[in-house]
Amino acid sequence: MSSLISRRPAGAESSLSLRGTLALAAGKSAGRATRLIGRGGGTAITGMVARKVDPAILEELVRVPGVPVVAISGSNGKTTTARFAAALLRGEGIAVCHNSAGSNLVQGVTSLAVGCASLRGRLPDGIIVAEVDEGALPKVAPETLPRALLVTDLFRDQLDRFGEIYAVADAIESVAAALPADSALVVNADDPMVATLAEKREGRRVTFGLAIKRSTDQITRAADTIRCPHCQSDLKYRYVYLSHMGDYMCPKCGFARPKLDVAVTSLEVVGLDRTLCEIRTPTERLALDIPQSGTHIAYDAAGAVALLVGLGVSLGHAAESLASVGPAFGRLEKIAADGKTVILAFAKNPTSYNTTLRALATEGEPRQLLIAASNTLVDGEDFGWLWDVDFESMAPRVERAVVSGTRADELANRLHYAGVPTDRLKIIEGRPAALTEAFALLPPGSRLVVLSGYTPLIELRNEMRRRRWTGRYWDV
Amino acid sequence: MTEPTTGKPAIPQKPSPLSGATRPLPADYQLDPSDRFPLIPQVPQPVRSAKGKAGAKSVPAAEAEKAPQTASTASATDPAPTVASSAPAQSIDLSVTVGSAAPAPVVHSIRSSHSRDHKPLRIAHLYPSLLNVAGDGGNLIAIQRRAQWRGIPVEVVAVEKDETPDFRTFDIVLFHGGQDVEMAVAATDFARKAPSMREAVAEGVVVFAVCAGLQLLGHRYITNAGEVMLGAGILDLETRGGPQRFMQHAACEVTIDGVTEAVVGFENHSGLTELGPGCEAFGRVIAGAGNNGRDGLEGARSGNVFATYLHGPCLPKNPWLTDQLIRLAVGRAEGLRPARVVLAALDDEMEKRAHEVALAKAIANRGKRTALEPARLVRGQKG
Repeated sequence: MSSLISRRPAGAESSLSLRGTLALAAGKSAGRATRLIGRGGGTAITGMVARKVDPAILEELVRVPGVPVVAISGSNGKTTTARFAAALLRGEGIAVCHNSAGSNLVQGVTSLAVGCASLRGRLPDGIIVAEVDEGALPKVAPETLPRALLVTDLFRDQLDRFGEIYAVADAIESVAAALPADSALVVNADDPMVATLAEKREGRRVTFGLAIKRSTDQITRAADTIRCPHCQSDLKYRYVYLSHMGDYMCPKCGFARPKLDVAVTSLEVVGLDRTLCEIRTPTERLALDIPQSGTHIAYDAAGAVALLVGLGVSLGHAAESLASVGPAFGRLEKIAADGKTVILAFAKNPTSYNTTLRALATEGEPRQLLIAASNTLVDGEDFGWLWDVDFESMAPRVERAVVSGTRADELANRLHYAGVPTDRLKIIEGRPAALTEAFALLPPGSRLVVLSGYTPLIELRNEMRRRRWTGRYWDV
Repeated sequence: MTEPTTGKPAIPQKPSPLSGATRPLPADYQLDPSDRFPLIPQVPQPVRSAKGKAGAKSVPAAEAEKAPQTASTASATDPAPTVASSAPAQSIDLSVTVGSAAPAPVVHSIRSSHSRDHKPLRIAHLYPSLLNVAGDGGNLIAIQRRAQWRGIPVEVVAVEKDETPDFRTFDIVLFHGGQDVEMAVAATDFARKAPSMREAVAEGVVVFAVCAGLQLLGHRYITNAGEVMLGAGILDLETRGGPQRFMQHAACEVTIDGVTEAVVGFENHSGLTELGPGCEAFGRVIAGAGNNGRDGLEGARSGNVFATYLHGPCLPKNPWLTDQLIRLAVGRAEGLRPARVVLAALDDEMEKRAHEVALAKAIANRGKRTALEPARLVRGQKG
């Protein structure tokens, strides 16, 4: 495949309108001000302000020949896949702009472009890697015309926002189907719903998945697509790798997992911070040693590799590039705190929770737990999905759990019904107070596991930064 | 949530069999003090020691892991549970330690005798892999736990597509919500299960249905496209596709056997349901849209069939309702009038808190259609 990344043609400078220039300046200052007063990374406010001044700012900045945008969307694994893709691209000598802090709504993507652009509206040579929320994709895609769209997976997530998984699938389908033929659609073939995205589209398509001859998971109540997307018969799985992702086929209509262009051929997860895997591409075999742990890490790495294959970029330095990509903030991130260790684990839906719990279980964790859930715009209103999480497997290990966040009530009740004795549960809604409590009684030498949704996780991490245990979440 | 210890039977179920009078009452199901025909003569309430005599050794494996839970549940609460006074005499298997300083246990530790003597509560979980998205599986967890914490053994049978068991052999049938595509698959399959379900319902089997379950127990669901999905016709109701989705915290007032309580949950449906004269509402709307956003009615009820739009999941944060279902099921299983069955009280601190928060959220959101601004999505070819 020829490379989709070309040098910018001479003279193809963006000629930003006056309004665009103003928007750019306003957005940049808003972001800088937010960081200066210590209210966050300015990862959303920059875009929000710029769009207020000029709603077309994102379009103006990125729709210049030679500034390719790559969009990464799906339910789980967006942030880590984007980090891997950015590292791989940089390893091949390509400059990358990337919304690494996970601000992935339309304002977050706008912040990315505004932040990277010069005051005259010129983006650096190279590529923009944008993690895009699956709900925001129908808005972001027409404004950025991505040269590649990667879809990681589809799981139930924020059903109080989307109503049904099918609505999310429809949204991504509409974007994928409209992708120009020379843009690459990169799909996870192990997820039946993702594998069938824009099936009729003619154009570049790269599939990725796992090709190991053993199951690494089983179908649980958190699995979503376990029926044939075409005829609704129950799928038969040869191997189940992660929730409903695996090697499947439909006994009725013959639909089966598509052939893999990029495949993980061996996989070994070591403890909480290492994954060894081999990835086969159409032209190469890559042996990777990644300092993060889990089957999902293999998926994210394979997705990132497939993205480069789709873009026609070589992979000569893949092993070195990925060897240094540690966890994104809150993805089993270890933080040293006053001689003790905190493991920050972000979990937002049944599958991400189960994946995280399984990884923690390999080291007998969590024993000392701080767990949080809050009703916010990004975390949602309905926490019914907590009842689909396999907390039962974790319950016998928990020695003490401080439950926090504005929905501590639901979470505590869930843990109570999962079998955590109520005298081991303490509800403290306030996040700093909960952290103090969880830390105060932490036995020497033991670790505190923090399991949390997005908003409380940022609050807790900011509190840790205030206590000088760690740096800023947008710098990880 | 209070235990309905003063509840009078409003709808007598089928008459108690004569054998019930000679058989000793299961120790866990306490007598209703207001019952005029108690099976065991009332004796003064003994003060109980913190630990019952019945050895933990004979606790079945499934419950053994619950034992420390129950003990700690009891000890974690205030030392004088309010239920103690209302708990009627049950001294059969309890050690009596008069004047003991130890707090009276909230949960009885005599489950072993119960487990030997009684067949388990049989629960059918309909389509667990088909109708599974909204966390409604929590309803099963709630019933299971609350029965087990009282020493009532539970047997759960997953009833999937293409399986047609005799539903009369179950005590409780759970029929949960799902997405449109899965619901259509379930609808086709449920037609084959419906005859047996009808017989079971006629015999008083307790049914708890949510959302798609409610819709499929009705006569039909007419989609926005005009397609008709036939239901079982067990509940006299009909549903039509609506223009918008109701997605918000919701609450309603439910009356069972003369006792009225608030029931909370989260609604996520676009179907608009109208009740016919053959069934009553499950509850009256306090907050939220209810069946259709118009008539103030929530869900449907007919005899022991309870159907609601409340996800959340509903039962874990409505322990009163869960206990009503267990009580009705136990009454039927043991051949007792439901009024004769009074369940041992549990410490519901966590449940009450979850209930109160959800109720406050529902009331705060009253008058709105959705809790969040729903994502604006483009409908594509699928679905």
